[in-house]
Amino acid sequence: MESFLQLLVSGIAFGCIYTLVAIEYSVIYQASGLVNFSHGQWITLGGFVFGGTMIRQFNMHYIPAMLLSLVVMGIFGALVAKGIFNPLRHLPNNLFVVLGTVMLGKIIIELCRIIWGASAFRIEGFLSDTVKIGGIVFPEVYIWIVIISVIFLVVQAILFQKTKLGKAMRCVASDQKAAALMGINVNRNIIITVAYSAIICAIIGILVAPIFNVDINMANSISLKGFAAGVVGGFGTIGGSIVGGLVIGIIENMYLMIGPAIYKDVVAFVALIIFLLMKPTGLLGKNQQKRS
Amino acid sequence: MGLKMQKIKKIAPIIISLIIALVLPIFVKNNYYVTLLDQALVNIIAVIGLNFITGLTGQVNLGMAGIFAAGSYTSALLTTKLGVNCWLGLIASIIVGIIIGYVLGYPSLRIKGIYLTLTTIGFGEIMRLLLTNMVNITGGTQGVLGIPSLSLFGFELNTPRRMYFFLVAVVCLMAWIAIRIVKGRWGREFKAVLNDDTALASVGIDISKVKLNSFILCSVFTCVAGSFYAHLMGYIDPSDYTFDMSTRFLMMLMLGGIGSVPGSIIGGSIITILPEILRFLKEYYWLVFSVIILIIILVLPYGLVSIKDLPFVRKLFGLNKNSLGESNE
Repeated sequence: MESFLQLLVSGIAFGCIYTLVAIEYSVIYQASGLVNFSHGQWITLGGFVFGGTMIRQFNMHYIPAMLLSLVVMGIFGALVAKGIFNPLRHLPNNLFVVLGTVMLGKIIIELCRIIWGASAFRIEGFLSDTVKIGGIVFPEVYIWIVIISVIFLVVQAILFQKTKLGKAMRCVASDQKAAALMGINVNRNIIITVAYSAIICAIIGILVAPIFNVDINMANSISLKGFAAGVVGGFGTIGGSIVGGLVIGIIENMYLMIGPAIYKDVVAFVALIIFLLMKPTGLLGKNQQKRS
Repeated sequence: MGLKMQKIKKIAPIIISLIIALVLPIFVKNNYYVTLLDQALVNIIAVIGLNFITGLTGQVNLGMAGIFAAGSYTSALLTTKLGVNCWLGLIASIIVGIIIGYVLGYPSLRIKGIYLTLTTIGFGEIMRLLLTNMVNITGGTQGVLGIPSLSLFGFELNTPRRMYFFLVAVVCLMAWIAIRIVKGRWGREFKAVLNDDTALASVGIDISKVKLNSFILCSVFTCVAGSFYAHLMGYIDPSDYTFDMSTRFLMMLMLGGIGSVPGSIIGGSIITILPEILRFLKEYYWLVFSVIILIIILVLPYGLVSIKDLPFVRKLFGLNKNSLGESNE
């Protein structure tokens, strides 16, 4: 029972991470129909900006360091949208977008290597405590992952439902042409969306830094599992991202109760392929057929 | 006269590139660089394969590393653990290629676009994780050591130089087969899937069979390349077969020019060799390389073979519009 609860705790924490990853690429997918294949590198960049520059170089306190990292990543996202997403959006085949974003990812990793060095490092004392309740160990970072994810989802819901900006973003997501006819600047909207996605990447990068250390490969596995989460829940939707992320996080940890630990990472991809074959629209997807 | 000139124009690039390929090892003294050329040739075989599925039918396949690994490991494990002849190992990896083609091609009958790309990514990752973790079969992260080199009628292809000439011959054969396929009925069907699969179905062609064919061709070519890679290097381990490798094959395809066999050859050579040429830039060389490729993709989305469509190049060579469609294959 104790080990079950322990696995549930890490399952939920990782589920929240996969949820954030899935949301981060889904907002771009909704707004522009493009899939960002460099999102893992964006997460890594967020981790480096926070851990490498703000903490190690400037010796800042955690909270201002985080806020400043989010701002920096937001500006980065806007520049990328202007330089890469908007031009590639108009090309006829989605191959170009795939390769363009992949190359962008490689450039980011090389920049990280040159600016911050190739060796991994950990941020001393940042969310490294553990709390013990009953027989179950709660690493501090897991608690913060869940808290920040919940706060983030609430803020995002308010942003999308109540503000003019969020409504415009939803308009572009549902129909670009109609949005343009209604006087919404689609190009500017995509810039804002990509910047928003980059900010989520920075949040993920900061949250996983205590788990994986700050390293150029830190986001490789969560970025690919984030795709699996999206497909299991319903690709490109916010609700699907939440459900899929939690499902993937929990089943891959629950699997540890029945199978050898070395195959834990395979679970997410097997789930991905099973869902693509059986129910490509995902657990929540009903009216998504037209999108595929 | 005009007809003869056209024929010469068609054959000249092939002969020139063949001569360059055969003369090149004389000028390259260092064996390391010859190995690099060998790798370029192996990559070309895989890219020609990727061209069938991604270049012609337009389905983005990002699981190339998994297919390539399957080819490598089939050959490597059969020859080292069971002592099977290398050529039987190659045949076995071709069979594995056909099986993978069916397995990966089957989902493509129901899903397409981004969903298919995600399936191939999932396949590649599962393959890599299994190779890393099934320690008692694959040797895990230790990899497979002491893979024998190929031998041809008793002649051991045990140095990079000997392997080079053999691989040049193989690439010529593969490229010839690929060009026959691209120009033939299958190639036209593949292109039709990209343009309009509804129209294709309406003229009575079974789309699912067409897609399956292109997937099988892709995975057979890639498995052959993987098998040669194993015999060339003599040592393989799972850390090579990452998502990065899959994207590198896609890079080669796009840089050369999607849908074009000569483009695949150009792209495969450049992406393998250019990083070594840029070595003098020290730690900046991968960055400069990536930026160069990104710029080429943004300026020339249809790859280097489309360079002749640029206005100033056309003026330079005095090409007229009519000859363009002909030579663009």
